[in-house]
Amino acid sequence: MDTILFNLIWIIPLFTVLVGAPIPAAHPRFLKTIHAFSATTVLAIVCYLTYRVYAMSGIPADEAAAPLVLRFFTDIPWLSAFHSHYIVGADGLNMLLLALTAFIVWAGILVSWNIKGNQKIFFALIQILATSVYGVYMSFDLVLFFVFYEMEALCMYLMIACYGSGKRDYGGKKLTLTLAFGSSMILATLFGLYFEGGANSWNIMELSKTTLPMDFQMWAFPLMFMGFAVSSSLFPFHFWSPDGHSAAPTAVSMLAAGVMMKMGAYGCLRVAMFLMPEAAKIWLPYVVAFLIFNVVLGPFIAIRHKDLKYITAYSSISHLGLIFLGLAALTPIGLRGASLQMISHGFLTGLFFATIGMIYERTHTRDITEMGGIMRKMPFLGVGFVLAGFAGLGLPGFSGFIAESTIFIGAFQQDSTLTRIVTILAILSITTTAVYILQTANRMLHGPLPQKYESLTDGCLREKVVIIVLVACLLFIGICPGWISEMLDASIAPIFEKISAATQPAISGIGG
Amino acid sequence: MSSLLNMNIIIPDVLLLLFPFIVIGIRLFCDFRSKLPWRIANFGFIAIFVLLNFIPLASGEGRFLISNWKVDDFGVLMREVLMISAILGMWLSKDYFEHGADGKPQMHQIAEFIGAIAFATFGGVTVVSACDLLTFFLGLEIATIPMYALTAWNKKDQLGSEAATKYILMGSVATAFELFGFSYLYGFAGSLHFSEIQQAVAAGTSPLLWLAVLFLFCGIGFKLTLFPFYTWAPDVYEGAPTPVTAVLSVTSKATAIAFLVVLVFGPLAPVQEQIAPFIALLAGTTLFVGNLGALKQSRLRRFMAYSSIAQAGYIMVALLGPATMAKTAIIYYLFVYAVSNYLAFFVFGIIGHHREETFASLRGLSKQNPGIAIALAISMFSLAGIPPLAGFFGKFHLFFSGASTGHYAIVAFAVLNNVLALFYYLQLIKSAWVDEPDGHLTPLRLTKRQRSVIITLSIAVVIIGVLPFLSNNIFAGFNY
Repeated sequence: MDTILFNLIWIIPLFTVLVGAPIPAAHPRFLKTIHAFSATTVLAIVCYLTYRVYAMSGIPADEAAAPLVLRFFTDIPWLSAFHSHYIVGADGLNMLLLALTAFIVWAGILVSWNIKGNQKIFFALIQILATSVYGVYMSFDLVLFFVFYEMEALCMYLMIACYGSGKRDYGGKKLTLTLAFGSSMILATLFGLYFEGGANSWNIMELSKTTLPMDFQMWAFPLMFMGFAVSSSLFPFHFWSPDGHSAAPTAVSMLAAGVMMKMGAYGCLRVAMFLMPEAAKIWLPYVVAFLIFNVVLGPFIAIRHKDLKYITAYSSISHLGLIFLGLAALTPIGLRGASLQMISHGFLTGLFFATIGMIYERTHTRDITEMGGIMRKMPFLGVGFVLAGFAGLGLPGFSGFIAESTIFIGAFQQDSTLTRIVTILAILSITTTAVYILQTANRMLHGPLPQKYESLTDGCLREKVVIIVLVACLLFIGICPGWISEMLDASIAPIFEKISAATQPAISGIGG
Repeated sequence: MSSLLNMNIIIPDVLLLLFPFIVIGIRLFCDFRSKLPWRIANFGFIAIFVLLNFIPLASGEGRFLISNWKVDDFGVLMREVLMISAILGMWLSKDYFEHGADGKPQMHQIAEFIGAIAFATFGGVTVVSACDLLTFFLGLEIATIPMYALTAWNKKDQLGSEAATKYILMGSVATAFELFGFSYLYGFAGSLHFSEIQQAVAAGTSPLLWLAVLFLFCGIGFKLTLFPFYTWAPDVYEGAPTPVTAVLSVTSKATAIAFLVVLVFGPLAPVQEQIAPFIALLAGTTLFVGNLGALKQSRLRRFMAYSSIAQAGYIMVALLGPATMAKTAIIYYLFVYAVSNYLAFFVFGIIGHHREETFASLRGLSKQNPGIAIALAISMFSLAGIPPLAGFFGKFHLFFSGASTGHYAIVAFAVLNNVLALFYYLQLIKSAWVDEPDGHLTPLRLTKRQRSVIITLSIAVVIIGVLPFLSNNIFAGFNY
């Protein structure tokens, strides 16, 4: 029963698209209600299943799913021409990411209630996008994984270019093409994983039992890692993110920054590092050097920007840098911190973009120099924005603190001078983060209220519900992170074991 | 060697050979406005297609009239691809003639038109069935000559006449190259029969063989629009009537690629490894040049020409793999490519009836005709290879075949080129979806048949790839 429910997670959104197709354009409320209902159903299913995964932690998993501890394991032969199977399953990590996605999709649909243009197509595209993200997190077959991973390209361009604002065609193209560039790098290496390992299987569990030849790993790992890093906007592939996010409609920004950028980090962990641990040990110390840009310079760029979405985009870039710092640390605590940060940042950036979208809907500008005193007119939205900011700069009590401190501890344990230096710089850069967040909040929310904003109103019930739910999630993770780390540890342990068991010469690091 | 004429498996081929004569013949005894030829053509093509599905795969070899003929699983599946292309081409030509070249319906011409398409299809069938060089060459010519006539169909159109002239000149040179290659191959092996040539090639190579291979690839390069022989394609695609362009881009391409498959996995199989770098070079340059050329196009059919040049490059990648994988990949890709391409051409045909065929006349399509805009997006994303549409799985098959023999470099190059391709497909989608409607463009009106064809093809493109029973069953029992 639970297994069927689990498979329904990605089927329900697609089914909603089919149901919505024949509804005439004259009944937009009906259409939106159906989509909201479907998103709520998926959210309920995912919450229930997350609880089930947590509760089942003592029970041994399916034998076929070893070495990972997978629940709701499904394995059906799919495309026989290249031995691809439909394999899905849940462990702690991907279940939590699914929960994050379900929350963000639900919030995204509620936030875009008043979207302009053809609403039927917009909501259909959001649901297809949701399917793609759910699928990526669920699948344990590389072909299935890639199909879902690349599906986003189909929706992203249309959504940004048709429903966005500002330079929407430019932003949409930049985002879609850069992401497609990343996924083509992944595709190029996937074939090697299949043929070189000798397993002749796309199954991640099967592949993890083999050791790929070293000369293949040495070129394939960086290519695949970079491919995934593109969608997580790791320097030097970060350039799509500010333009893309700022041009996108609110729901798409939320989904893109909240869950799609995590797909890259998740792929790095689940596919690249898990299947090619030997090369990961050799290459990851060099990745740390790139992180200086993401983590240290990202916040400085954010200080200089006036557009709210650009500020948030650069803040996302720096937060995603922290995820990679945790991954590159190659310590269990670092990996746990990285996974925590994926989830925490998803909620906080979702909240960020949601409040920005709501404020933009009222003020019709995102330039913080033109705003002021908004707190007086929109106290609720203002508080939501400030709370998102606090979570972002790692205030204890919010999820950001737990995640970031875990990453720093994990990264500092790494016995390499470079990693330690970057970690110290990253810790210091939290101050920079505080500067831009407080500066933005100050300029936008306080000070004199411009004449034209006199008639603005605070958020309606729908918007308040979205903000309250997202803030509650942030607080929940921040106050009781114990059960989340428990779930994460169960799924990180096999990955870390694989990495630590890699027999290639131990890393020397740069200067370490 | 026994005659095939007393076996059942030959029935579809015989019918296909008689079919154009029947259709054109009936037209002689019909009234000017009679719909009989069209109905018979429709019935005949579909009946042959249905009959094909009853042929057991891997069937037999023998004499058929003057030629050595074989019916194998690759041949049967290729026949199905060619028949699908012919049927869709026939429906597209109905659109074209109902509307007429200059606004007047010209339905009386349709019988000859369909007859020519049927001849071209039979040519393709001959190529995949041939067991000796002579039949092989005849097939290629039967497939090409009707296309010359079709290109020049609209004789008052200057662009069309220019295109046909260009096509005939280029095509004749290509034929000369091929014939030259064949003669060298004959000189090398001392036999016209494929199996004997294969034995001779396996026994040892000589410069004469390489010369023959070079000429054969040059010759087929023209027909398959490989770099550097692709230059005729944009002009011909633009000048020919829309249904001809569609048939040209699917049937001709399928015939040419079948020619290469038969050649590379037949007589040249022993040296496949040696000519692999050459194939990889042709594939890489062709897809790169095609993608590069498409970037700056603003006319729909020139755009499709470059896009199909690039697709030819992608198909070549599959030829690097082992026989079974390569044949599976190519057949599957041709299915997918035929459906996606025809979907695009149906849309362009409808646009062409009312507007100029440029990107600019697509403006505002998503607001005025959302259905057509969605179909166009589906077709373009499929050609660009975005999952879960069929095009992705087609390309995946091709790359899978190429990578299976360790040609990662060319596969990686082809995959990265996909980004370039995505750019220009997005460019077209942008015109239809993002640009504001033009004031003087009125919404397009579709007939019931056009709407149903477009909806069917769109659904096909969406589900062919992901539904396993389709792609699995098509190749069930596929072994060589």
